[in-house]
Amino acid sequence: MDKIRAFIEDQFLVSFDEDFPEDTNLFKEGIMDSFGYVQLCRFLEREFAITFSEAEMTGNVLVSLSQIRDTVAAKVAALGKAG
Amino acid sequence: MCGIAGLVGWNGQDDLADIATAMLTRIGHRGPDGLGAVIGDDWALGAVRLAILDIAAGQQPISDDSGRFWLAYNGEIYNYRELRAQLEASGAHFHTQCDTEVLLQAWIHWGEACLDRLNGGYAFALYDRLESRLILARDRFGKRPLFTARHGGALLFASEMKAFLAVPGFHFRQDAGQIASILGTWTPLPDQSGFTGIAQLPMGMWMSVDAQGMTQHSYAPLAFADGPAPADETEAKQMIRQTLTRAVDLRLRSDVEVGVYLSGGIDSAIVAALATDLNGRPPATFSVTFDDASLDESPEQQAVSAALGTRHQALRIAAADIVDACPQAVYHAEVPTFRSAFVPMFLLSRATQQAGIKVILSGEGADEAFLGYDLFKETLLRSTWTSMDEDTRRQRLGRLYPHLDHYGPQDIAALTGLYQQFASETMPGLFSHEIKFQNGRFSARLVKGAGDPFAAITALVAQHPELQAMSPVQKAQWLEYKTLLPGYLLSTQGDRAALAHGVENRCPFLDPAVLDLASSINLRFDDGFDEKRLLRQAFADRLPDCVVNKRKFPYRAPDAAAFAAAHPDYMDLLLSDSELAKLDYLDAGFAKRLCAKVLTKPASEISTKENQTFLFLLSLALLHHAFVARQELPGHGLQRPAPPLMRMVDLRSRA
Repeated sequence: MDKIRAFIEDQFLVSFDEDFPEDTNLFKEGIMDSFGYVQLCRFLEREFAITFSEAEMTGNVLVSLSQIRDTVAAKVAALGKAG
Repeated sequence: MCGIAGLVGWNGQDDLADIATAMLTRIGHRGPDGLGAVIGDDWALGAVRLAILDIAAGQQPISDDSGRFWLAYNGEIYNYRELRAQLEASGAHFHTQCDTEVLLQAWIHWGEACLDRLNGGYAFALYDRLESRLILARDRFGKRPLFTARHGGALLFASEMKAFLAVPGFHFRQDAGQIASILGTWTPLPDQSGFTGIAQLPMGMWMSVDAQGMTQHSYAPLAFADGPAPADETEAKQMIRQTLTRAVDLRLRSDVEVGVYLSGGIDSAIVAALATDLNGRPPATFSVTFDDASLDESPEQQAVSAALGTRHQALRIAAADIVDACPQAVYHAEVPTFRSAFVPMFLLSRATQQAGIKVILSGEGADEAFLGYDLFKETLLRSTWTSMDEDTRRQRLGRLYPHLDHYGPQDIAALTGLYQQFASETMPGLFSHEIKFQNGRFSARLVKGAGDPFAAITALVAQHPELQAMSPVQKAQWLEYKTLLPGYLLSTQGDRAALAHGVENRCPFLDPAVLDLASSINLRFDDGFDEKRLLRQAFADRLPDCVVNKRKFPYRAPDAAAFAAAHPDYMDLLLSDSELAKLDYLDAGFAKRLCAKVLTKPASEISTKENQTFLFLLSLALLHHAFVARQELPGHGLQRPAPPLMRMVDLRSRA
């Protein structure tokens, strides 16, 4: 899961720390741009062999590092059960 | 076309004639055919002239017969013949065939009410000796530049800020607050310059300066009022053809040959077709082409040229050409810039000048008037997002980006998430631009303690209550007409790039009648997702199918990758700690991290926002070098000789 953190830090030139916690809303802080968001989604789908549906994406799931981690973990777990 | 400069309220020791001459010489590229000035006791104004109308008699500055008014004028008033006829009917007498004299008489007869009658791109300075008052004015779209600066008790003004380099005791200082705003909104706002104490006179405004002080007035607020609405599509297309024919006809008025810049898109192709029909022969056309096929539009340029029979000249631009010319082009642009695409236009004007052409027409302004940009479709989609079902959203998203290879069908879910985040307004008055400004937030991180980079633009929209009655798309248009169009397309990539080599650019799509017509047609016969559909169809039988059916293709040039590959010496301005420290308002850590990524990673891993921020950083460093530190920039071969002195009128009272 630290791959996600590394991807965001590299893609958006930020560093998560006390002043920039992992639950920061990346849209509201102006970190997330449109191209970067699409890149992030592609990265997660590729890296964790998951697919996001449009319905999921209207639920504000990918706005902070901690939320992204939780969402990805849940989807990976669901895949494991299904498999 | 010309450049103007001058000052009022001067009480220094230096000779005013010397100062005026030196200021004008600094902008001599705008008017290589001659320099003229008039000198009063504490004021001076003058012009450098590119002779286009009444070449023998059109020297500047000019005065009325009484010698009360003196005018220095930059630009073209395309309806000057019609205005002249009206003025003659009111008893005015003329000595020349020039639009300069028409403007002078128009001011004398109608005062500031004359401004709304002018159809053109212009900026002028007029001194009234009786009232000891200076008038400055600028055209409604900000086609031609005009900067002012306080200097001691004096007010300086000039077409380009570099004229102020010639004023004794004047110093440039980069303004961190303005720069944060410029980085956030991608371009300077109408009054911003990027330098402390230097302002632009905003478009559509005039100002008066006398002993009582300075006042600023708006004469042409931007509106999208419906004009005469066509009954059906056939009539709409007919009106588009008529209005554009008239707009091009007015802009062919010239005593020198008029050429056309062909981009490969529909807008400049229409202009070229109309110029061909109106002149009865094809014009000379000019284009830039690129080695990089993803940026190149040569097939469409050649198709238009072949269909019309134009004498076509293409300038092939390699990434290294951009790197070589960038410092000089930034010096001409004078403001921070978010992309490199103005550099090829700077080089194209040199080729145009060498081909003996002084005036060109271009397609600029069509996308703003006829809703050509993706931004307008995004705004339409976002403003109705919450009321749409999933199927409609998917279908609209699929139609949104037909030309962008970095988004595809596989990204529909990601785009859905993105639009969900931007479905309601969080920045008052700026809804349409909120996604776009996310890139700007990234760039604004270059400025240490930037505060809110959108405070200035939020204040600007708050000053315009008329925006509240506009639709979301009209608000988006309003913002484009106040930011990207004047702040980059017409200036850095337009006027400054062309006039760097004495070429005047004219834009038929900026005719007020064209905007009025477009406003009455937009979204009336379609949903706007097939951008500029009626405009394209209006000229479908006159132009090649590959151009008519081509979707909007943003004009771009190689960005950061070009600099990473060539690694020019001037990159030391960014890579040396001591050089970078001179830009003391920057967050040096962020700047270094950005450079490290942009200059080492493959181009495919560099995002738009990083390219954009790198170009901002590089242009800020080059501007600091040239204006603040007053150091030489690479590219000496581009220096041009001073214009010959044509006129010097000395009105000073002798002790």
